[in-house]
Formats: sequence, structure tokens, C-alpha cells
Amino acid sequence: MTPELERIIAAKEKRRRDLATLSFPEKVAIVVQLQKMVAPILLGRGRKVYVWQMPASNDQPVLANFPR
Amino acid sequence: MEKTLAVINELEKAGLLSRYAIGGAMGATFYVEPLVTFDLDVFVVLPTGPGGLLTLTPIYETLRARGYHEEGECVLVEGIPVQFLPAYNPLLEEALAEARETMYADVPTRVLRVEHLLAIALQTGRLKDHERIQLFLKEAELDHTYLAGVIKRHGLEGRWKKVRK
Repeated sequence: MTPELERIIAAKEKRRRDLATLSFPEKVAIVVQLQKMVAPILLGRGRKVYVWQMPASNDQPVLANFPR
Repeated sequence: MEKTLAVINELEKAGLLSRYAIGGAMGATFYVEPLVTFDLDVFVVLPTGPGGLLTLTPIYETLRARGYHEEGECVLVEGIPVQFLPAYNPLLEEALAEARETMYADVPTRVLRVEHLLAIALQTGRLKDHERIQLFLKEAELDHTYLAGVIKRHGLEGRWKKVRK
């Protein structure tokens, strides 16, 4: 493995460890963002999924449901 | 999610479930990096009904009466699909009894201990469970003495040895 590749892998692992230390609400917010990214792909494959409706800190809905 | 958890807390207070804790991918996310999931898995201990019957029906009926509707295996509670899973074996019963009390923002809730999540993944044994076990080993703070006890009590030593190879 080249030093550059080692550096990249180490950085990725550090990022994962950092993500693991976030608070539960912060992680849930990320999960919802991931749902938004993944849902169109799954819907395209015919799988029914529902993106969570989570209010933002100012109580405004930040996510809409994907059509089902 | 606060509102969803508040509704589940109300179900517990009303005696429709004896105890609950978050498990599955969201339970895992409590301990490791965020994992994509579309359901909130909630493990429950159900009160024994007439004739010793354990059923989720009273929970579903109550939620329906409050205007929440079912979506496949889940009930959509305050914008989140919740899957209620009764504790169906001694490992899950122990996991629920020893679940960790925590707060989600200002709402109290419970999450299964990471050692139990790992043992449940070992017991279930699907490909995604094996991937999750690797994540727990890499990213979570495990109490290895406690984990060894769980694995031994529930006869998972053989599976654990294979994973650790």
C-alpha cells in the first residue's frame, strides 16, 4: 500500500470514529440526510421507503416525504 | 423524533407495554457512526393479557385511535415508521431489562446496551449483522467482561469464536 493510500484510509477511519462520538440527535439528523440521499435509488428499484419527518431546531419541517 | 419517543413513553405509562428500548440500526447508531435505516425498531416487553396471550394489538389499536396509521410492518408515529418487536427470547428479554436509560433532547428513552446489540447480531447472523458486529468492534466502547457474560449466558460462544477468527 502506498503512503498516500494509507493516509486516505487513516483519514476515513478517523472520520468514522469522529462521527461515532456525535450526540444521538446529531446522528439522527445525519441518518435523515442519508435517507434523503438513498431513498430515490430505492424508490427507483421499486422499494417503498419513507423519509422521516423531522423538524429543524426552529420547528420548520426540513424534509418532505418521498412519493409512495 | 422527540414526539415519536414521547408517544412511545405514553404507551409505556399507560401499561400497553411494560418496557421498551430502541434497537436495530438506530440502536446501533447510538454507539457507532450513523447507519442508514428507514425504521425505528422498538423492542418491547408486553404485559400478559387474558389467558397469557402476548399481543401487539392493544398498541396498534391505541395508535390507530390517535390517528397514526400502519405502513407495512410499521406504524407511522409523528413522521417516523416505528416497528414494534416483542421480546421473543431470553437474550432480548435480558437486553430490555438492562437497556440503557438516556435522553433524546429533553425526552427520556432507552437504548439497548451495545453488548446486547452485538449479541443479537451474532444470534441473528445475517450478512448485515456481521457487518454491524465489525462496526461495533471498531467504533464502539465495549465492556468486554460484560459482553463475555452475555455471550456465555446465551450460548453464542461458537458464533463469537468464528467472528473473532
